[in-house]
Amino acid sequence: MQQLLAAFGVDWQLLVAQAVNFGIVLVALWHFLYKPVLAMLTKRQRVVAKGVEDAEEAGRMLAGADTEVSKRVAAADEQADAIVSAARESANMEKVRLLKEAEARAAAVTKDAEVRASEIAARTRRESEQEVARLAILAAEKIIRTKV
Amino acid sequence: MHSGIEVVLKAEQLGSVFGFPITNSLIMAWIVMALLIGFAYFFGRSLSLVPGRLQAGVEWAFEGSLVYMTEVLESKALAQRFFPLVASIFLFIAVINEVEFFPGVGSLGLVHSSEFLPFLRASTTDLNFTLALALIAFFTIEVTGITMLGISTYARKYVNLKSPIGFAVGLIELVSNLGRLISFSFRLFGNIFAGEVLIMVASYFVPYILPAPLMGFEMFIGLVQALVFAMLTLFFIKLAIAEPEGAH
Repeated sequence: MQQLLAAFGVDWQLLVAQAVNFGIVLVALWHFLYKPVLAMLTKRQRVVAKGVEDAEEAGRMLAGADTEVSKRVAAADEQADAIVSAARESANMEKVRLLKEAEARAAAVTKDAEVRASEIAARTRRESEQEVARLAILAAEKIIRTKV
Repeated sequence: MHSGIEVVLKAEQLGSVFGFPITNSLIMAWIVMALLIGFAYFFGRSLSLVPGRLQAGVEWAFEGSLVYMTEVLESKALAQRFFPLVASIFLFIAVINEVEFFPGVGSLGLVHSSEFLPFLRASTTDLNFTLALALIAFFTIEVTGITMLGISTYARKYVNLKSPIGFAVGLIELVSNLGRLISFSFRLFGNIFAGEVLIMVASYFVPYILPAPLMGFEMFIGLVQALVFAMLTLFFIKLAIAEPEGAH
């Protein structure tokens, strides 16, 4: 065994030195390489997961915005309809009111005209009665004059 | 200056500091450590949420191996706990195995008392390095088994007094567990060392053209061996934390 180890140059001092060398490599790579790279991998994983989550959130928000838009458009339609029908109704009411007013005025005018016409007729009659009476007197005077 | 093929089984000692031997494989390990730690330092600082190509590639590899480890260990927490160990084993071995093929490694050196001593030698072709890694993997596996299952449950895997067959199986289990030390260290050492010898032989007999595809193949082998070491560590951890009855 001793001879075998000697043939291969095995020396406990060198053995320890090489083991220490490996230990140094292990610790140094652990500190400088594995830890930062693995930390970077987890960090990137988190960032990617967050990105996907954000995209999903944005998609959800977009869908929400779509429904919101259609809801608002529907509400606006409804409101516009209400406004138009209200306007139409008020226009109708106005029309009816105007018509009634016109009718009332026309009736008043007619009534006024009738009153005035009957007044004129009465006056005419009175005047013609007076004329007839005057004419009759004149005629009677003429007759008297001729007979006398 | 040398004729013939010279195969050196052990890492050459270049000198010593306070009685501590400095071998060319130790220097290689230090260079690769500097490369790895330097890369990790600058790469770790330049991380951004929107990755460049390099960062995307590294992240892809990390995520892929974590997913695979989670599948094997059937637990995300365990996968995250053992990921640094398994990944470091892979990276350290893989980079050493690839840097081995850079010009100058094994070819630059000095001649000391008519002996050629290269400045650099792939640490994976030094049994000290592979055995050290095997020991670390072995103790990690055993300690994980003990802490996850508790000492008495874990011991029941190896000491089973319910039946003679169970006792024998436990013994075999114990021996095969200890054998992992040998298989771990010699598999890596053998594969990479054999690759070096193969290229050396090919370069000796056919110095042009032939070594190039062989080097490409050996670079691939280097990656595979790094992967094998890391994966076996992972699988043995899984076996260690499995309950004694349901296992195997």
